[in-house]
Amino acid sequence: MKTLKYTFLIMLIGLFSCELDEVQDPNNPSLGQIESNATLSDIQLLVSGTEDLMRSEVGFYYDVLGIIGREYYFFTNSDPRYTGELLGKGEAVLDDAGFYGTRPYAGRYKVIRNANVLLTAVANTNESLTNEQKNGLSGFAKTCQAYSYLLALNMQYENGIRLDVSDPQNLGEFVGYDQALTAIASLLDAAHTELTGAGSEFVFSLSDGFAGFDDPASFAAFNRAIKARVALYQDNKSGALTALGDSFMDMAGDLDMGPEHYYSVAGTDKVNPVFRTPDQSEALVAHPSFVTDIMAGDDRMEKVTMRTSTAVLDGLSGDYDVTIYSSLASYIPIIRNEELILMYAEANIGSNNAEAIAALDVIRTAHGLAAYSGGTTDSEVLTELLYNRRYSLFGEAHRWIDMRRYNMLNTLPIDRTNDDVWSQLPRPVSEVNQ
Amino acid sequence: MKKHYSMVWLMAILLSFSVLSVHAQEIEIQGTVTSGTDGEGLPGTTVLEKGTTNGTITDLDGKFRLTVAEGATIVVTSVGYKTMEVSASSNMTISLEEDVTKLSEVVVSGLASSVKRSNLANSVASISSKELTSMSNQSTMDGALYGKFKGANIVSNSGAPGGGISMKLRGLTSINGSNEPLYIIDGIYLDNSSISAGLNVVSAAAGGGSQSNQDNPSNRIADIDPEDIESIEILKGASAAAIYGSRASGGVVIITTKRGTEGKTSVTFSQALGVTQILNPLGTRQWDAAKVEAAFGAGEVANFQAAQAAGTLRDYENELYGNKGLLSTSRITATGGTERTSYFLGVTRKDDEGIVKNTGYEKTSIRLNLDQKVADWLTLNASTNYINSSADRGFFNNDNSGTTMGVAFVATPSWAQLLPDANGNYPNNPYAASNFLQTRDLITNNETVNRFLVGGKLTARLLQRNNQSLRLTANGGIDQYTLSTTALFPNSLQFQKNGNGLNGVSVQGTTVTQNSNYSFFLVHDYFLSSGLSFTTQAGLTFIDFDQNNIIATATNMNGSQTNLDQSGSVSVAQNRILQKDRGFFIQEEINLNDMIIGTLGVRGDKSTNNGDVNKLYYYPKGAVAINLHKFGFWNTGFLETTKLRAAYGEAGNFAVFGDKFSALNSINIDGSGGLVIANLRGNDAIGPERQSEFETGLDFSFLGGKIAIDATYYIKKVDDLLLRSQVPSSSGQTTAVVNAATMENKGLEIGLTMNLVNKEDLKWTSTTQFWNNRSKVTRLDIPSYTTGGFADFLGQFRIKEGHSPTEIIGVGDNPDEDGLVVFGDAQPDFQMSFLNSVTYKKLEFMMLWHWKQGGENINLSALLSDLSGTSPDFDKIDLDPEGNLGNGGYRLSQLGANTGPYIENAGYMRMREVALYYTLPNFFGDAVKSIKIGASGNNLINFFEYRSYDPEVSNFGGQGLSTGVEVTPFPSSKRYNFHIIAKF
Repeated sequence: MKTLKYTFLIMLIGLFSCELDEVQDPNNPSLGQIESNATLSDIQLLVSGTEDLMRSEVGFYYDVLGIIGREYYFFTNSDPRYTGELLGKGEAVLDDAGFYGTRPYAGRYKVIRNANVLLTAVANTNESLTNEQKNGLSGFAKTCQAYSYLLALNMQYENGIRLDVSDPQNLGEFVGYDQALTAIASLLDAAHTELTGAGSEFVFSLSDGFAGFDDPASFAAFNRAIKARVALYQDNKSGALTALGDSFMDMAGDLDMGPEHYYSVAGTDKVNPVFRTPDQSEALVAHPSFVTDIMAGDDRMEKVTMRTSTAVLDGLSGDYDVTIYSSLASYIPIIRNEELILMYAEANIGSNNAEAIAALDVIRTAHGLAAYSGGTTDSEVLTELLYNRRYSLFGEAHRWIDMRRYNMLNTLPIDRTNDDVWSQLPRPVSEVNQ
Repeated sequence: MKKHYSMVWLMAILLSFSVLSVHAQEIEIQGTVTSGTDGEGLPGTTVLEKGTTNGTITDLDGKFRLTVAEGATIVVTSVGYKTMEVSASSNMTISLEEDVTKLSEVVVSGLASSVKRSNLANSVASISSKELTSMSNQSTMDGALYGKFKGANIVSNSGAPGGGISMKLRGLTSINGSNEPLYIIDGIYLDNSSISAGLNVVSAAAGGGSQSNQDNPSNRIADIDPEDIESIEILKGASAAAIYGSRASGGVVIITTKRGTEGKTSVTFSQALGVTQILNPLGTRQWDAAKVEAAFGAGEVANFQAAQAAGTLRDYENELYGNKGLLSTSRITATGGTERTSYFLGVTRKDDEGIVKNTGYEKTSIRLNLDQKVADWLTLNASTNYINSSADRGFFNNDNSGTTMGVAFVATPSWAQLLPDANGNYPNNPYAASNFLQTRDLITNNETVNRFLVGGKLTARLLQRNNQSLRLTANGGIDQYTLSTTALFPNSLQFQKNGNGLNGVSVQGTTVTQNSNYSFFLVHDYFLSSGLSFTTQAGLTFIDFDQNNIIATATNMNGSQTNLDQSGSVSVAQNRILQKDRGFFIQEEINLNDMIIGTLGVRGDKSTNNGDVNKLYYYPKGAVAINLHKFGFWNTGFLETTKLRAAYGEAGNFAVFGDKFSALNSINIDGSGGLVIANLRGNDAIGPERQSEFETGLDFSFLGGKIAIDATYYIKKVDDLLLRSQVPSSSGQTTAVVNAATMENKGLEIGLTMNLVNKEDLKWTSTTQFWNNRSKVTRLDIPSYTTGGFADFLGQFRIKEGHSPTEIIGVGDNPDEDGLVVFGDAQPDFQMSFLNSVTYKKLEFMMLWHWKQGGENINLSALLSDLSGTSPDFDKIDLDPEGNLGNGGYRLSQLGANTGPYIENAGYMRMREVALYYTLPNFFGDAVKSIKIGASGNNLINFFEYRSYDPEVSNFGGQGLSTGVEVTPFPSSKRYNFHIIAKF
């Protein structure tokens, strides 16, 4: 009896006298806390974080699309997969656990998740935000999401992508290529509507990469530029022309104008992931066809630089390094005026070839070429368009997608017997297992 | 009694009570307890009136005084001696017989109680101070444990001064979390963190295939001075460790330090002086012009021949590892006390050099233990320890920058000229990124610890009647230390100057750890005249842990400055760990005349580390021991004692701190901060790993106790193993920690203790131990995966259902369904140890051998030296089955196709310790009680086929399961010592 009573006594004390308080993560802000009760400065931090994620892991995106699209090689002794699996060497196939596919894919979805955290934080915050300010935040977040979905879809193509990821524990189904493009277009439209109702100033700031695109009106013009790209992928030329009309396209303007990913060598900032010091053994080497196919006098030849010695690896070689960026601190364009003009040309092919040629001549003359004097049939103008897209947008991850859009992947050069040109990357293993 | 029960707790808190004591027809007895071995008084012996809790402890001369009931029986117990029962008489001399079977020693059985080993249902290992330190001079506490008890796999991580081990008790208990046991010293929970010095900024080791810390930090258990220790008890699995709940899955090591006893002050001075040298020098490859051309190209032949002609071919192994380090340990202890107060003071000063110049270990430890008897019913004990240690550990292990001394050394051939010129300028090493002699002489990699351990215990006898007693124990402990790590890489180094590296690096880390624990217990003893007795205990425990680690990394240093300010760029990283645990414990022990002893108990724990902080996790235990020889029917003259025992218990292991949090990480863009979603998805339902263990055993002794055998078999199951699992990356996160696997360990432990010769002039005792363990993953909810190494073709461990979690896989012929081939297992087939001790008159001789059979290592030192053509066995032909290629050439020919040649047998047989002591005849009269001189050695004789310095090695330290991966470590050493010990 006694024993029993002692036992009960102690148990009671044990159970009721020492409730523990939940420990907050002492090293990082907690997700739940930020989502449920964000301050205005937390919201700014999430905006900056989202912008940071936009530029993170994109090095892999550019390199993988550039390599599969036969724009350039990456020679490195530390990983054989750049010249093996990505070029389909011999029997090699793409690996669904390979970093070249999983990392850029995960990177895009981190942007989408972070923007969702931002949207939730804006919805739940106790700070007094005006509707215009909320529209601005939401328009920013959704535009970033739409751009990220598009990049993920560019890699996955007919595998499709997951669109509904708002509940991380309960992810939506994969949707096919066309359906995904439709959804991305509507997301951009929803964002655009919000941006047009967002007043004249954002409540947040962006990095120098968005200089000139950091208020609701100019950011909306960026939104339309992306919309135009989506419309062209959908083969919706009139939609593309409408979007371009609301974008920052300027026939007389600087071809490089447009929002950019910010990079810097300062402290804990991030450096340009595509830049590599020229003339080293580890090198970004232009595909030999870049030099053999370029027209005489085309100043886009400056995008490559001749090496002092031929780079050789794994049965491949090249004499030119890719030098589209000059340093680790060079910004990377997200979308720029030159692409908008080329999209304008492309959208006019078939309906107004003269207008298309006029737009192409803007590009040709800017690069030291004479005005276009070739044939004016749709296919002739298209050939001229694709030439200009190839050289104007070299290293900006377009050639592979263009060749795929026009069913011309089989025209890309094969350097070694049994090399393959892939049409898409495998669905990442983490998505397959679940 | 009944009317008091509800007030007990209040009484305990207020300490406002009266001591009740009722005795009838009492007599006062006094006497002396002596050792049957030498006839000297035995201090610290417990003298107890049988069937009661009335008792006392003998003073320094073995004398005692006690009031007992007339006609009572007195029970006399002393550690290391057989318990005796004698009838009380007013003046008595009791001579105790030495007990080599250890059956009479007292072993922990609850958080506030202990039990005689002869009544124990578990196989609890214990190590006495004699086994621990009296043989040879131990460098660190962790190193003193090798081969001294069954059921452990202890691997030293490298030979770097300052220690560093990984200890796994009864097999692997966790895959992702810690496998290390919980250490408790005098009731103080010890932190045993291994804290990185931030060397990765130079070594870039975590930049490649492995993300792990490869800095080779020491464990903080190394701080404890082994000389202070009176005994160590090791609870190897959950069946014994359940009383420690959520922290005990890896086992518990309970350390008790020496305490003072009543009597005149006794002072002991000891000095050990010794020397250390490389354990197993490998030699270097013997070059000729043809080999040079094959390995380094035709251009190098001239350099080789020039050096050969000039006589400047160097033995760089000897240059780098050939230092004969001096070892010195000085120690003074003083112990004494009055009837009420006793103290123990131990001061140790240690200064050990390493086998690489500019490495070494220095330690000062001061311990003061005080015991105060405030009143007959109230005792206070205090334990205090201050430790200051400094370890210079060199720069070894893996890197991706070619800069560690180990990696640079294996890349360098003998004709390289690396010695400094007359002005002290070091030439660049053309064969590696680093001139390792320059690195050795100029860098600093130091760990300095300032540590306080303070513990206090209050024992109050609240109630004392003839047949029952109630006592309260309140216990508290604080372990507080500051660890400063300093890593300096000046910009005059080959790999820091002229655009190489970072133009000088200064990494300075500070870790402040505070670990505090409190517990309150009530223990009730109740004796019935039928011989049945009950011990009931219940109590509460509180444990708080707070660690704050800050590492500042400065690069682009101004000149030779090391101050963080004197740099071009500084970055800072901070990591905090906070944890609070609360628990309760109830246990009931029932003893029927020492014939049947049963125990039932349960521990309940909650912790802020769990997903639900206020959820109680329960850890039950139950055990029974049956002493057959105490039963009337058990009438064999041959067997002295026979005990059957069985025990079951459960224990836990926490998730790694932070695994429950979904966090946002900070970034910087264009001068603005930002928050980005972290890769880890917090698991807010995360709970501890749960281990359940059943063990059963048979202990018997015969020939009058001269021979004792104990055998234990256990099955240990670990459920809810925490694994890092991939989540769909479209969620924006990539990993989560989930409770997703089950593992099983089975093992056998057998001990044989012999005391065959026990004459006055000649004694011989011998202990032989055997143990093995087999592990298997029995459930895995996620796909099988490889971990713990660099890449599958270089050898990794695989976690796969139905397989051993420590199996080593690689690539090769006839791959299985995963495309992999099994090449071995890090777990040994079995281990044995042999401890022999012979005393002849004034001479004592002791020897400890340790045999580990089987178990494989992944030897990547061999790979790195093969790639540079410098392997000592490069030209030897004993690997190629065709018998054509030299070993180096053969291994390289298999690289990428067959991992086999780099997986090597890591078994060994070694003489861990040997010692010879002589007690001098007493020349000095009364001033000196005794003087003993002696010589000892550690690891003097070694047999192994492993092709490197030592099969005991771990590039990744003690983390997770990956021991036994070798990448150019700090080589192991052997030590010789001379001792003089004087008692005053």
